[in-house]
Amino acid sequence: MRRYVLLRTLSILPALLGVSVAVFLLVRLIPGTVVDQMVGTEGSYSEESMRALRAFFGLDAPIHVQYARWLGAVLRGDLGTSWRTGLPVVQMIVSRLEVTVELTLVALLVAAAVGVPLGMLSARRENTTLDHVVRLVSLFSLSIPVFWQATMLILAFSLWLQWAPPVDFVSLARDPLRNLAIITLPGVALGTAVAAVFMRMTRSSVLEVMGQDYIRTARAKGLAEQGVLWRHALKNSLIPLITVAGVQMGYLLGGAVITEEVFTLPGVGRLLLWAVFQRDYPLVQGTILFISALFMVSNLVVDLLYAYVDPRIRRG
Amino acid sequence: MDRRTFLALSASAAAVAAAPAVAQQARRAGGTFISAKTTEAPSLDPILEQALSRQRLDPLFYNRLVEWSHEGKLEPALAESWTTSGDGKTWTFKLRRGVKFHNGRDFSSEDVKFTYERILDPKVGSGGRGYLSAIDHIDTPDAHTVRIVTKQPSASLLAGMAGGWSAIVSREAVEKSDLRRTAVGTGPFILQEWVPQSHLKARRNPDYWDKGKPAVDAIEIKVIPDEANIIAQLRTGNIHHALLEDNKNYLLVKDDKRLRAQRAPRLGFDMVNVNHGRKPYTDVRVRQALSLAVDRAEVLQAAASGLGSVTGPLTPAMRPWALPADAFKEWYTPNVERAKKLLAEAGFPNGFKTTLKVIPTFPTMVAGSQVIAAQLKKIGVDAQIIQEEYGVWIKAIIKPNFDFDLTMNATTGDADPDSLLYRRFHSSEKQWNNDGDPDVDMLLDQGRATLDPAKRKDVYDRVQRLMVDKAIQIWTFAPDMIDVTQSGVQYQQHFTTNYYGFRTVTLEK
Repeated sequence: MRRYVLLRTLSILPALLGVSVAVFLLVRLIPGTVVDQMVGTEGSYSEESMRALRAFFGLDAPIHVQYARWLGAVLRGDLGTSWRTGLPVVQMIVSRLEVTVELTLVALLVAAAVGVPLGMLSARRENTTLDHVVRLVSLFSLSIPVFWQATMLILAFSLWLQWAPPVDFVSLARDPLRNLAIITLPGVALGTAVAAVFMRMTRSSVLEVMGQDYIRTARAKGLAEQGVLWRHALKNSLIPLITVAGVQMGYLLGGAVITEEVFTLPGVGRLLLWAVFQRDYPLVQGTILFISALFMVSNLVVDLLYAYVDPRIRRG
Repeated sequence: MDRRTFLALSASAAAVAAAPAVAQQARRAGGTFISAKTTEAPSLDPILEQALSRQRLDPLFYNRLVEWSHEGKLEPALAESWTTSGDGKTWTFKLRRGVKFHNGRDFSSEDVKFTYERILDPKVGSGGRGYLSAIDHIDTPDAHTVRIVTKQPSASLLAGMAGGWSAIVSREAVEKSDLRRTAVGTGPFILQEWVPQSHLKARRNPDYWDKGKPAVDAIEIKVIPDEANIIAQLRTGNIHHALLEDNKNYLLVKDDKRLRAQRAPRLGFDMVNVNHGRKPYTDVRVRQALSLAVDRAEVLQAAASGLGSVTGPLTPAMRPWALPADAFKEWYTPNVERAKKLLAEAGFPNGFKTTLKVIPTFPTMVAGSQVIAAQLKKIGVDAQIIQEEYGVWIKAIIKPNFDFDLTMNATTGDADPDSLLYRRFHSSEKQWNNDGDPDVDMLLDQGRATLDPAKRKDVYDRVQRLMVDKAIQIWTFAPDMIDVTQSGVQYQQHFTTNYYGFRTVTLEK
């Protein structure tokens, strides 16, 4: 088991290296640089000034040299300084981390709280009208993009409940009630699609498990149907669900970018979007590297959890 | 009802129930003044950052030697008085005594020299170099005197010194800290905290040289990306002030008794840039045809709900320089027949295909582009609208790339005609349209060197007429600058710069 944990943890490193190369190149493929933005159409243009600014940001060096400089700094634990604001990238990310982590967890919670029970219900009532309705709804929520749903939610809430998205984010520690008032709706918007995935996964998984021999044995023992379902079926159905939850973290972190923008939450996602618009390379690179690491670590945790839940894996 | 209107309306209904926190505060002197805006200053650097959102913040933390007054006059600020030599080339400024930087050090002539030389140094890369380019060298005979010698007599030197990039900084602040994220000036407020995309907080500078200012103890500027939400916050009394980005929102607040909306002409304007380096725009008749096809009043109506004015090369806010739009009626009265005739003469009896670029995040440009494309269709010009993200667009259109046929554009504007026109339209600069016209060049050179105000006005009258006659580009409209405050707030608009009026704002009834 120890060997498995070690190998699995080490496997993150090459993946992160790959991400670092990809993000470094991709952000440079977008036309326009920070220098164009700074001078823009308002400042006095001179080729000499443009050259000076490019040199200031190190953009005059060959691309592999730029990459080596950046990677070297990252390996020493330095994500650099934001080109636009002059603030340390780490500081900018950390100050927004709470929002994104909370949003993602709330979304995951919403997904589990809605998706799993609905999935079980659907499985129990397989091929009934209820099953069809639940499946249709889940298909619908899978299909609508998160930005559209977020906008519609804001619209609905402001129309019927006279509620507008609050302006100031308040942390959970400072004022839990106000915090929940702010984070719940975005959490629902972001979690809906994942709830649909959870629902479909739970349904098929429960259906599969219900056909297993040990369920028949449990029933033959004279166990009540509720007991069969909750004690035997659900526990075993959850194994694939854990994997799906890990994979969905990627969707949630990506979706957080859009959700934060629509609900104007000061999170890492909105920071990333701003950094891209500003062509603030160190900030884009640092943020994406950070989000990727977060995703990989959450998958690592899922894998380890999986090994814990299913003994066959850690022995294999 | 669109989404924004609808959000603002419904949010305001909620506002009635909520306790108006700000309204209570408004009765006492001092207090914290809270403003909100949709766009963020990407950086606070007064010398390197072009964004208007940055320029608007400058007067909080910094001073210039001379500054624009509310009435559009250049007033002494860090310079108390000045004289010019007989040949008009040597300017001697007497500096104000007892002025301190936020770090406690006394302001001196060395700071002026350091700041201007830094702006002028091409290796620093300041976009404000053009404002001060008349300067040959700077002497500091003593700590309270600055002598500026210009290459030739310059009518716009003072305006350049009052311009958007000319805030006086201290050497040690530049060398030891990072002015992108801090602010060390002589201004009325001291920066306390800046969290990008969230808020900026500043407190009153107790040592500010202009005694009695500012009236408030502190200010906070919040970033709220959706203007409908800003309107809702105004109505709920959570903020005191907002400068509207989308003038349509004026219609939502103009009849609200709790709020006061002030309108003034804005220096900035919207336009269509025309690439003179590409056919068929090399032909003046084609450009003139476009000018005749565009109904500017219709564009203004669509883009800014009519809240603004049709403008020529100098906007109505640029008193006394601007000619009224009536002066251009030969080209500003839409005339499809004449436009078609001009196109036919230029060899395009059936029109032609072209492209019109637009940045999707600028609402006035998007609305304007659709109207203009429809108007051009009437003379057979088929303009395909191309949306480009801001950064992509800038890269494409700036010198030396000039990768566009036609593009929507908007500018911050400038209070002085030389500062506004020279670096955009002189053939040695040609910043926007890839243009260059010997007659325009001659007049621009003349305007720059003419010190007598009446003669100078005459030169710029001719420049304006000539530029519209030759359809150097299509000027469309100048939107109004609209500030909305709680009705108890005494707020004076600063239309001559389009900056915030935060130095004089009071929360008293």
